[in-house]
Parts: sequence; structure tokens; C-alpha cells
Amino acid sequence: MPEIFLNGQSVQAREDQTVLEVALENGVFVPYFCWHPQLSTAGNCRMCLVEVEGRGLDIACNMPVSAFMKVFTDSDDVKAHRKAILQFITLNHPVDCGICDKAGECTLQDYHYTYNGDASLSADQKVRSTKYYNLSNRILLDNERCILCLRCTRFTHEVSKSMALGVERRGDVSNIRPVEDRPLGEDPYSDNIVDLCPVGALQSRQFLYKSRVWYLKATPSVCPGCERGCTIQVWHRKPEWFLKSLDARQNTAIARITPLENPAVNGPWICNKGRDLSRIFERTRAVEPMLKGRPVPVAEAVDEARRLIGAARHPVALVSNWGSNEELDSFKRHLGEVFVHAHVKTDWQPEEGERIEDDLLIRADKNPNTAKARELFDETQPAYHDGTDLVLVWGEGYDFAKIPPQAKIIFLNSYLAPENGHADVFLAISIQTERAGHYTNFQGVVSRFEPCFAKGKHVLDAEALFKALEAPPRGHT
Amino acid sequence: MPGRQLIMSFPVTATSHTLAEYRARGGYQALEKALKTMRPSDVVKEVTASGLQGRGGAAFSVGRKWQVVVYDDGQPHYLIANADEGEPGTFKDRWILEQNPHALIESMLIASYALNVRNCFVYIRGEFDLPYERLAAAVEEAYAAGYFGERILGTDFSCDIVVYRGAGAYVAGEASGLIASLEGKKSYPRNRPPRLTVKGLYQRPTVVNNVESLSNVAWIIAHGAAAFKEVGTPKSPGTRLFSVSGHVNRPGVYEVELGYPWMKFLEEDCGGIVGGRAIKCVVPGGVSSKVLTGAEIRDLDLSHEALWDVGSTLGSGGMIVIAEGTCMVTLAQILMRFYHHESCGQCTPCRHGTGWMHRIMDRIVAGQGRPEDIERLYYISKFNDGTTICGLGDAAGYAVSGILDKFRDEFEYFIEHKRSRCDGNLECLRSS
Repeated sequence: MPEIFLNGQSVQAREDQTVLEVALENGVFVPYFCWHPQLSTAGNCRMCLVEVEGRGLDIACNMPVSAFMKVFTDSDDVKAHRKAILQFITLNHPVDCGICDKAGECTLQDYHYTYNGDASLSADQKVRSTKYYNLSNRILLDNERCILCLRCTRFTHEVSKSMALGVERRGDVSNIRPVEDRPLGEDPYSDNIVDLCPVGALQSRQFLYKSRVWYLKATPSVCPGCERGCTIQVWHRKPEWFLKSLDARQNTAIARITPLENPAVNGPWICNKGRDLSRIFERTRAVEPMLKGRPVPVAEAVDEARRLIGAARHPVALVSNWGSNEELDSFKRHLGEVFVHAHVKTDWQPEEGERIEDDLLIRADKNPNTAKARELFDETQPAYHDGTDLVLVWGEGYDFAKIPPQAKIIFLNSYLAPENGHADVFLAISIQTERAGHYTNFQGVVSRFEPCFAKGKHVLDAEALFKALEAPPRGHT
Repeated sequence: MPGRQLIMSFPVTATSHTLAEYRARGGYQALEKALKTMRPSDVVKEVTASGLQGRGGAAFSVGRKWQVVVYDDGQPHYLIANADEGEPGTFKDRWILEQNPHALIESMLIASYALNVRNCFVYIRGEFDLPYERLAAAVEEAYAAGYFGERILGTDFSCDIVVYRGAGAYVAGEASGLIASLEGKKSYPRNRPPRLTVKGLYQRPTVVNNVESLSNVAWIIAHGAAAFKEVGTPKSPGTRLFSVSGHVNRPGVYEVELGYPWMKFLEEDCGGIVGGRAIKCVVPGGVSSKVLTGAEIRDLDLSHEALWDVGSTLGSGGMIVIAEGTCMVTLAQILMRFYHHESCGQCTPCRHGTGWMHRIMDRIVAGQGRPEDIERLYYISKFNDGTTICGLGDAAGYAVSGILDKFRDEFEYFIEHKRSRCDGNLECLRSS
């Protein structure tokens, strides 16, 4: 373990580390644009210049540790050079923060305020370049804002391996451009480059001009898109910024979804499907319980369900693999004795055109909690017979035609669906963004999600519902 | 010719570049000597002992570069001759490729033998047509004569060569940019460490030498390091090819023994200055070296140490002689246009700095200069120095600050009067 001196402070470093890594590990912040822990070192932004005694200035991200080196990250020379590098970077940058989605979470903005703060020294016209360049149907590129850190090209070469991006031309008219015949649109991880971009050059079309980031709050959550269970952040409007001019739906919509770094599961990435969860969660919701298609108060529906369960001789349950660990446990604890035959149901099948599986993140099972459901319940398909008199279906994705006609149906679903009205008892339940819980991924890693929004007035939490259904029926036979 | 000749030692005729004539001049005997009587380590020792310095610009010891490569470390090694001669004012390697290609080929074979190289490369500038044809023909001749391929001259040594044509980027002449280009990538120079002699082409130890540096190797092996050291000065042994251009009566490529008096060379060999004018300044070795005024070079010798003493360098040997009456502001503008056009755009200071300097120079020449522009040029130059991945950014800064240091009054005049002080008067009166 070589010992090095950071601003005079002795620290221990590993031999394979760079000075930048050692500094960050020891709480000494060195600014950088192009460096990223998961990507190769490009060393092109020159922002992480530090001074080494006897060797002058060099970039920390490409500087191997050597014993007893004396590194200064804040000397006058370093400060002057940082300032100059920011002058160079902002020389042709449009500084259009006022209309830039990245404003508020922009590295360049932060560094400018921290390390430079001066107006531009240039009196000349800025180099103009393409704006709104169509990289794919998901991403727009603003070449004027681009600082050519090449994180995005390195990502497509090293992580997603789509090799979809390259640099065209040279000098200050260099542009990031898609490579012929390798469309970025077919890269299922392409949206990560939007997060990687330290400035506002790469813009998500979904999020374009949708909200300023300081109106938003990031709630930690878990992506239910496949059994990988990547940890994500769901960005939604802060309650204090709810506006009357926006209707309730807009105030409580998912603004965007970004990865939440988690070395055990997904690292800093998620796939594009995980960014599109609003397609799943923002379908029309079922808002109230029904008996054979007739809306009823919650208590009446619950009582009827309890009566059916109490009366059943051969009940069968189909358990959702979108249920959280808590809900699955609750079902097992409260209804496990009644429903001896409880089978795991696969709620969500791969969609047409979706990438089924790859060796980065995406898994073939498109449901979040299959691992936990299989641990508790029967993996096989239910075997119905003439005596089957009750089927409890929890969650969507089940064909009611398979259920024998004599059986009563209790259906728990969150979304509006034709089956809702066919069930003898229909109960509307909450979705993941309305409750807290945990999912267990296929590796056995348990991740927690937090509620983002309040659930509807007549919508039930499945965990509490199962407890309520356990109690013996009152006044009915 | 000024002093002794090692490379240009024969009269150029229509056939003097062929294998037959090269052998008649004693060619390929050094290869035979190296392969049959010397161990690879002896060759490296001999080249190190000769004190041969790189001729591409940095003047780093060739032998010391070679010593970094471990002969039998179990991985492939590569040797690359850098024939991407793009420095403005430099056209000396071109002469070797056109008139003496076998000197390069023989030297590369000897170097490959010394460094355990199975495949060597020549990265030749794409715009070089005749040099490429001559070199390609020479390679074919060498293959036909059994100097390449398996078991060369009956020994265990085997070697092949690839001649690769570049696509016209100045920055591909930088060794790591060259390697990126050779690998089929955009010619972005690479950060060091690791050094190229540790991880170069295809992540293997690679020696990149200038064509002229390599071409000296055959002579050194044939005549011995001691004989080489007798030529030139103790600190700068050997000769250098200078490509002289600008306001001289006889521009061209000259082989000059190092240590030869500079003015004598210009006046006797190059025929003096056009029209008998005074020398205003000289760009000694490609535009990336700092300019020297006529007064500064008066008593200088052409040697590395003499140039280093006055804060410049012999660089790539591209000597541009500039006579009195030439506008230095316009010269700086032209240089900045070049650097702006050739900056690869990889790292920040050079990508934006070269363009910034170019725009400032354009503005000054257009009569829209501002008094603070000179400070701004110094600022850009200062923060390009040592902050970039390769030397292009530094060179652009040196070029402009070198001219500014010595001709600041001309810039001030141009900014104030919106025209050049040299307009219409060839015998420009300098205030200093």
C-alpha cells in the first residue's frame, strides 16, 4: 500500500489506483467531466489537473499512484488552470441554461459557479453547430452544448456494445454523430447516455421541456420490468410545487425515471424499458370495487369476498409475481391455510419487439418478484376439476376462460380491464408507486421501493386486504 | 554541401533509388553484418552508443527509446516508421522516401532484428504519391531479393513490412495518434502513461521512429558508433536533413553536419536571401518551434544544444527563412489557421484554444483588433502549455507566443492602425 500525500495529508492508496480515485475515496473532491468509474479513461476534458511536486501539472484521472508523491489539488496553479479550462469549455458553449433541461443538475453549471464564476474572456462569435439533432426516437443531441467528453461514445462502445456513436470531423467543429448502420434506436440501453452527459447536450425526448429538475423529487424505487430488479429513482413533482393550473394527473405523473446506482444489481445503468414505466403505471386505473360489474362500497365487496372464501370447499389462488415480499408474506400468513392450492401467476409476458435477454441487465422473466413468489407458492399451473368452486386471481395477465364455469371468481387488479366486470368480486388494489415494499430479484438481492403518490380513496393495499380476508365471516353462511 | 554526408551521399539520378544502385553503393551490407555477426542487444548498444537523436522533433535518444523494449518478454513487438511528415515547412523525409528508400528499409530490418519485431510498419502520409510509389516499389524489390519474409539471409530472423497510407491528418504524425490511425480508429493521441514502448500498437510494446532517425541506423551499423560520433558535435552527433523554404535563393533539402554555422549554410549553400534582403526571422524546425530573429541566429551553429540555449529547437528540420518586409501578424494568422484546422478536437484547451486564437488573428488582420487581444493570445498560449494530451496545443501556443515575444510591436501597430506596418515597404523599419 503506497502512501501518498494529498494536500499535505498522508493517505493510503492501492497500487492499481489513480490519483483521482484516491482523492475521491478520501473525500478530496477533484472536478472532472469525462472520467466515469464504469468507463475507460479518456482524459480529454483536462478538468482534473492536479499538481505533483517536482512534476508539475497533469491529469489526476490518468495518473498512477506512486509512493510518497505529493499531490496538490488546490494550489494556485491548479486553480488558475481549472479556471482557464472552464473558459475554454464555455468558449463555444451557448450557456442557454434558461431553456436547458439539464439546468439545476448540470456539472458544467456547478463547476462554473464553484471554480470560475467569471464572464467569458472572448469577444468573438461562438462556433455554431447543430441543435435538435435526431439521434434516435428517444434522444436529441444539441451539438453546441456538447463538451466532447466522449462519455456517450465510450458507453456505446464499452457497456452497451452497440457502437452506435462516434465523432465526426475534428477540432472545435467535432460533432458526436451516429455511426452508419448502427442505429442508436436499437440500443436498449441508449438512454443511459442522457444521464452520463455532464451537460445538456443529450436530451431525452420523454423529458424534453417537461419540468425543471428543481420542481422534482426523486423517490427510490425498483424497476418491475424484469426479474433483474434494477434500483431506480422515480422523479415526480414535489407536493409543494403542485399547481392548480395542472390537473391532478399532471401533478402526480412520473416525470422521468433514472437509475439509482447499485453495485449489487445494476451498477449505474438501467435499460430503456425501465425509463418507460409510465407506460405500465399510467394506464387507466380501476378505482373502485365491484360485484359482478356493479360498483359497491369497499366494505361490501370485502365482506362478499370473505363470505366466498369461507364457503369454498376447493378454492384455488393465483398469486401475482408483481406482489411485494410483504404482500406475498401476508397472503401466505393469512390465506395460506385456506388456499392450499396457491400457484404463481406470471403477470407480464415479453412484448413484441422487446429484447428478451442479454448479458448486461435484461432478463427473460419480465416480472419483478418471481423469485420470492416461487419460494412461497406452487410454481406449477393450477389443475382445475369439477369441484373447484372458487378462484382468487391476484393481478393481471390471466385468461379467465381457463377458469371452470362453476367457480366463483375473486379478482384483484389495479387497472381497468374487461375481466374486472366478469368477476364475482372485484377489488381495486394499489400499484407499486403508491406503497412501500421490497422485491427479491433472481440473485436473491432484496431492494426496497418507496411510495411516490397517494392511492385512490377506494383502492386497497393488498397486504392489508389479505389480513382483512382472513377473519371469519360475520353474519353470513 | 555543408559538412559530411551520410544519407545524401550519392548523386541523385533517375535510377539511384533502386535496389541495384543501393547495393552498388554498399547497401544491405549493414543488414548482413548485423544478422550474422551481432546479437540483437549489440545492435541496441551500438545505436545507443552512437548518441543518435530522434529527427522527428523531440530529439530524444533513439537508443534509449529502444532500451525500454524487453527483447524476450513473450509478446509481439512492433516497429513503426513515422513517414507522416506534416509539419509545415518540413519535407525532408520525403527526400529519403523518394531517393533513398532502401536506406530506410535496411535500417528498419536492422531495428526489427534488434527489437524482436516480426511485423514492422511504415505509416506514410496519404498525400505522398511519388514517395509512396518509390517506397512500395522498394519494398517489392526487397521482398524479391529475400530481405523480407521468412528466414532472411539464411538466418533465423523473419520479418514482414506493411506500408500504410494515412488519410491526411496532421495529428496522425504524433506517435500515439499514428497508432490509433493505424489501428483503424480516429487519430486521437493518447494519454501517457502507459508509454508506447510499453503499450503501443494493439496494446503491445511499439517503437515509433522518424524516417530520418531510422535511416541513420544502417550507416551506424555499417561504420560503427564511433565513426558516427565523429560527425557532428559531441552533444548532437551525425547530420540532419533540413528542408529549407521561404525567402532563400535555393530552397530544398540539404544534409547538414550538425554544428555547421547557420549563416554560412544560408548564404553559401542556400544562395542567400531573395533580393539580398535582410533576414527578419527564421523558423528553425517546423512551425512548432519558436522563431528566431536574424540577429539571434547570426552566430549560432546548427546543433540541438545551440538551439536549446536560445529557447528554440531544431524540431523537425523544416527551416523557413523569412526576409524583412514580411508581415508577422499575417504569418501568425496563417499559422493559427493551420493549427485550428488540424487540432483533432479531443482535449479541451487545444480544441477551443486553437480556434479562439485563429478567430482573434482573423479579426486583427481584418482591422478589428482590440488592445486586449495580445493579452488574450498570451493567455490561451499559457493555458495550452502542458495541459493537452499531445504537443499540438503546446505547439500552437509556442508558435504564437514566440512571434508575439519578438514582434509584439507589429501586432500593436496592426491593432492600432488597422493595417500592417509592412504594407508596401520591404525594408521594414523595426523600432527595436
